[in-house]
Amino acid sequence: MPELDDSERNELQNTVARLLADRSSESDVRKTMETETGFDPALWQLLAEMGIVGLLIDEQFGGYGAGAMEIERVMEEVGAALLCSPLLASAVLAASVLGASGDDDAQRRLLPDMAKGTSIATIALTGTEGSWTPEGVAVRAESNGTDWTLSGTASFVIHGQNADVVLVVANTEQGTALFQVEPSELGTAIRALPTFDHTLRLAEIEFAATKAQLIGEDGNGWPAVEQGLNLTRVALAGEQAGGARRVLDMTVEYAKNRVQFGRAIGSFQAIKHMAADLLLESESATSAARHAAMSLASTSDDAEPAISLAGFACADAFSAVTAASIQMHGGIGFTWEHPAHLYLRRARADAQLFGTPMFYRERYIQQLGG
Amino acid sequence: MSEASGDNPASVSNDAIRDEVQSWLADNWDPEAMKKGAFGPLGRDWTAKVVDAAWAATRWPKQWYGRDYNDAQARIVETEFARVGAPGTGQDRINLWANTVLTFGNEQFKKKYVPALLKSEINMCLLYSEPGAGSDLAGLRTRAERDGDEWVVNGQKVWTSGAATADYGMLVARTDWESPKHGGISFFFCPMKQPGVEVRPLRQITNESHFNEVFLTDVRIPATNLLGPLNGGWRVLQTALAYERSMMGEGARGPRSGAKGASEKGEEELIALAREAGRLSDPVLRQDIARVIAYKKLNALNTARAKAELEQGTSSPIMSLGKLAMSRILHEEAKLRTNLLDAGSLLESSDYPRAEDANFLTLNAYFTSIGGGTDQIQRNIIGERVLGLPKEPEVDRDVPFRSVRSS
Ligand SMILES: Cc1cc2nc3c(=O)[nH]c(=O)nc-3n(C[C@H](O)[C@H](O)[C@H](O)COP(=O)(O)OP(=O)(O)OC[C@H]3O[C@@H](n4cnc5c(N)ncnc54)[C@H](O)[C@@H]3O)c2cc1C
Repeated sequence: MPELDDSERNELQNTVARLLADRSSESDVRKTMETETGFDPALWQLLAEMGIVGLLIDEQFGGYGAGAMEIERVMEEVGAALLCSPLLASAVLAASVLGASGDDDAQRRLLPDMAKGTSIATIALTGTEGSWTPEGVAVRAESNGTDWTLSGTASFVIHGQNADVVLVVANTEQGTALFQVEPSELGTAIRALPTFDHTLRLAEIEFAATKAQLIGEDGNGWPAVEQGLNLTRVALAGEQAGGARRVLDMTVEYAKNRVQFGRAIGSFQAIKHMAADLLLESESATSAARHAAMSLASTSDDAEPAISLAGFACADAFSAVTAASIQMHGGIGFTWEHPAHLYLRRARADAQLFGTPMFYRERYIQQLGG
Repeated sequence: MSEASGDNPASVSNDAIRDEVQSWLADNWDPEAMKKGAFGPLGRDWTAKVVDAAWAATRWPKQWYGRDYNDAQARIVETEFARVGAPGTGQDRINLWANTVLTFGNEQFKKKYVPALLKSEINMCLLYSEPGAGSDLAGLRTRAERDGDEWVVNGQKVWTSGAATADYGMLVARTDWESPKHGGISFFFCPMKQPGVEVRPLRQITNESHFNEVFLTDVRIPATNLLGPLNGGWRVLQTALAYERSMMGEGARGPRSGAKGASEKGEEELIALAREAGRLSDPVLRQDIARVIAYKKLNALNTARAKAELEQGTSSPIMSLGKLAMSRILHEEAKLRTNLLDAGSLLESSDYPRAEDANFLTLNAYFTSIGGGTDQIQRNIIGERVLGLPKEPEVDRDVPFRSVRSS
């Protein structure tokens, strides 16, 4: 795909915003989050038709071949609208790991349907520890020379219960490798996990000598996973920045309209100063997410620290804004019917997926040479 | 009455008090029976026993179930109860309902309700907040009008905890619309089980429904249920609020998963949780754990010191400090519990009790930082009434309520 310029990127973002305003309103989100699959297939199909699902997939496989800067913008709207979908799992993480795998056969086999949205993919990566690092991998792969089998537990598999394509990161004699498992091989070994964020779907998979197909090279799987993870982290940072911004807007609007003591509560410095601090958080999150996206897209030297910085700045911002938002709404913010807690739940989930703020801060200082 | 409670409480030695309470507890307290429910629903039979033996509110006068103890003496009783894990004492500090009635009710009213409130025989709720009057409670618009021997009440309350099960509500309503906002409010003890009271449960962010909307339509209250002077309800309210804040400053609801705590041998729960999670050697978390435990300890010390100086029936804005401190404790502890779990906190349900606890406590911390007056309002109170800083100008403070702007 030809590089998009900034105004085209804005247009992409606006298009997604319009679609989600229409199809992922608060009441849509509440309806969808209560369904078993946790996403709306019709909306998923619309996103595919618009090219969002295939945004990161190479053109030769039916995608758009776009990159970090585009997906980051899209995810800002996803976060703002609290979209319930397997976008992050399938269109971002799985698609980009496959894209980086160097396995032409697998790409040809899997990516076209993923781009069309007709198949949903996910990656089983971490064990029950929930750390998205080589040390966190808790599945072992064994080969009898021709066929591979997997054993062990993978957890926090995003939309695992909805996936047609299950990719698995496993340890082998040679190191780390990527595999594919047919969901039909798994049956009840795949179990939905109850999530605090009701807009999210997670699963745990128990592998017991489960048949698997190797993707890419044995022993050299981690670089592709890391590459995919980095892009996913940027996308997630976008989601956090977009979510933070939306919650802040909503809260400021409320502070302008809610009257106590004969004046709008936003006229009290306690509220005004909180809002100002939150704007600093939210703007910093947007800057961090966009900077990380740009650094990654231009393969600049400081991409790694930029991603770590976004990792914690965006997570902390989203958490801080959502937490303060409930407080600033008073009693109404404590009700299920008010959306504030839905965002708080998403913020808490986003602050765990692929690395916690503490993890990113440590990585950041290491990447800076400390 | 027993020998330890001689006529002059100051003459009773601490040892004599300790001996008396210890032997009474030894004769009566049975934790196993309590667990098995042998003391009736909510342990009410136990509470009644404590009240009848005058241990429930020892700082109170003898004719009101107390012992005229000073704070130090009362602390001895509370310490002994706490040592064996027996509830029911210290109600002179934390039973906001009984304290309010004792302070503002007339003799007859007190006779009727003080024992029932101490014994938890009646369920109560607080009918204060309204859709347009939360922080600005004095902006309330529920009206009470006199009709013969009764008051007739119309209006709407909201966020009313426990309204669905309450027998009575402490109600603030406007009885004079010509006075400025604080001056036209009266305080009532309102019977809830009557046709004009409609309670609609609200779903909370914790996915529970403890608080409610309450619609009041021609609700009737006997004239004798007015507490404090007519149109003098604001002062009664200040006392009741101080007790509520004092209660909220001392504690809050803990985890709800019902899981066993991580702590054995009485170790600090947070330390035990960190050990269980294998994170006790993490230097960053150690700092956080120390900080949260210290916040709790310091709050307890502050509270004990503040209350030692308080007499029954008086209230102090200093209670706002404890509530503010507790709010910080609860929010910080929830953060810490989340950090101990990392990705584990993504989950909920009783299958993942530590996650369930961390997530529930994260949400329920707002019970304390919003309920009973928000943190921001507590800071205003501390700044203005404790420190004596100038008040924010309040545009509608001195105008007849009729002409006040609302949302
Ligand atoms: C779990 C829970 C249980 C409750 N139980 C009860 C109950 O049993 N009975 C009852 O009567 N009420 C109850 N409440 C209501 C509670 O007391 C009110 O929610 C609270 O006082 C805030 O009022 P509000 O909701 O109208 O918010 P608002 O007053 O509208 O406040 C909105 C925001 O503005 C801020 N604000 C308002 N005024 C100022 C100011 N002057 N300076 C600075 N900031 C300001 C607040 O701090 C808050 O952040 C409960 C609330 C909760 C959350």
